[in-house]
Amino acid sequence: MKIDLEFTLNGKNVSIETEPGKRLLDLLRKDFKLTGTKEGCSIGECGACTILLDKLAVNSCLILAGQINGSDIITIEGINEADVLHTLQQKFLEHGAVQCGFCTPGMIISAYALLLEKPDPSYEDILNALEGNLCRCTGYKQIISAVQDSAKEMMQD
Amino acid sequence: MIHELKLAKPSSLDEVKRILSSENSKIIAGGTDIVPGFHIESVRFKNISSLIDINSIAELKEIKIIENEIQIGSAATFSSIVNSKIISENLPLLAKAASQIGSKQIRNRATIAGNFINNAPCADSIPPLLVYDAEILLESEKEKRRIPLAEFLVSSYKTKIQPNEILTKIIIPNRYMNFHGLFYKLGRRRGVAISRITFAVLVRLENEIVTDFKFASGAITPIGKRFHEIEKTIIGKRVNEIEVKLTSRNIGEEILNITGVRWSTTYKIPVLQQAVYQSIKKLLSGN
Repeated sequence: MKIDLEFTLNGKNVSIETEPGKRLLDLLRKDFKLTGTKEGCSIGECGACTILLDKLAVNSCLILAGQINGSDIITIEGINEADVLHTLQQKFLEHGAVQCGFCTPGMIISAYALLLEKPDPSYEDILNALEGNLCRCTGYKQIISAVQDSAKEMMQD
Repeated sequence: MIHELKLAKPSSLDEVKRILSSENSKIIAGGTDIVPGFHIESVRFKNISSLIDINSIAELKEIKIIENEIQIGSAATFSSIVNSKIISENLPLLAKAASQIGSKQIRNRATIAGNFINNAPCADSIPPLLVYDAEILLESEKEKRRIPLAEFLVSSYKTKIQPNEILTKIIIPNRYMNFHGLFYKLGRRRGVAISRITFAVLVRLENEIVTDFKFASGAITPIGKRFHEIEKTIIGKRVNEIEVKLTSRNIGEEILNITGVRWSTTYKIPVLQQAVYQSIKKLLSGN
């Protein structure tokens, strides 16, 4: 049995007919073709599928489509304007915080959620916000530096 | 691929109770256990075909003080518990346990009742809730019943909830201002870890006398439990009379009696005894 969903996706009102038991991750990747959100572990441990749901970072592999009617969803495709990279994206590149890149969308969304909540985060705040995002390449140091630098720059704007 | 599901998202508690009484439906809140369970086609969830999402019901998300009790809505997320002043000021061990559960993403979705509703031994909220003498409220269309959490938790993966009931609130006496305590968690890594050993200790000291003492185990026993007999050997004693080493050893032996010898015993029991020893020492010194 299909249901009709209406919600906000990257700032636009959208509607779709879908199965309530479909994972939000699959809805985003397959139905909306937003493949920036990645599927890693599928059990909520790696954070590659992190998106913003009503301004909070959540794992889209742990949410069913039937649960999101009326909510506000932002994916990695929705954080920047037109062809300009978001500060976080720019800083991730500058700091070498991207290697294979698979964890990067989730990592940036978690950092984005942190900066919404705390524009001037401490080192501990950053560790805490990123603990649910695994990266097997960088060793995390560059990622943390990129987030620190982004916060500094975004505070000045 | 997740099997065919029906999912209702009612906006009132009465509607939830009505659905529960008329059809075979299960509650979903955070979904952090059930959704990956569906995805891997776990036998635990394969017979579920109808779900009720309770995230739209505001009263199930509230954390408030009513008279002498703290009421936590069953669908309050761990993030809301971590951010709640009511919890951090009055129930710090619960705040501590909540802050260490899963990751930020998990805490933003996972709910307090969802943590213990299936009575998995590794539920981190259990030891703090047990030392705080938490009770739970179960509601169905016709009835409300309030029972101690310790009684609700029957055995591994078994509780006293009936198919037509929803757990609506966790109710905790608000009387722990003069207590101090700690929550201990050992996992295989620092973050996003399933607990191997957890316990909570709560102590009230008055003029160098222990006037109350509560100890509850979590992941180290098949279900979370209080150690009332051992607690009694400490309550009423002067701090300098308490044999902390003996108490820690007794707790370890009691746990061994419950679990029997397992492959992990040679590691876990000494680690547990040492952690308990250090914890009680620290609390008795007034820290």
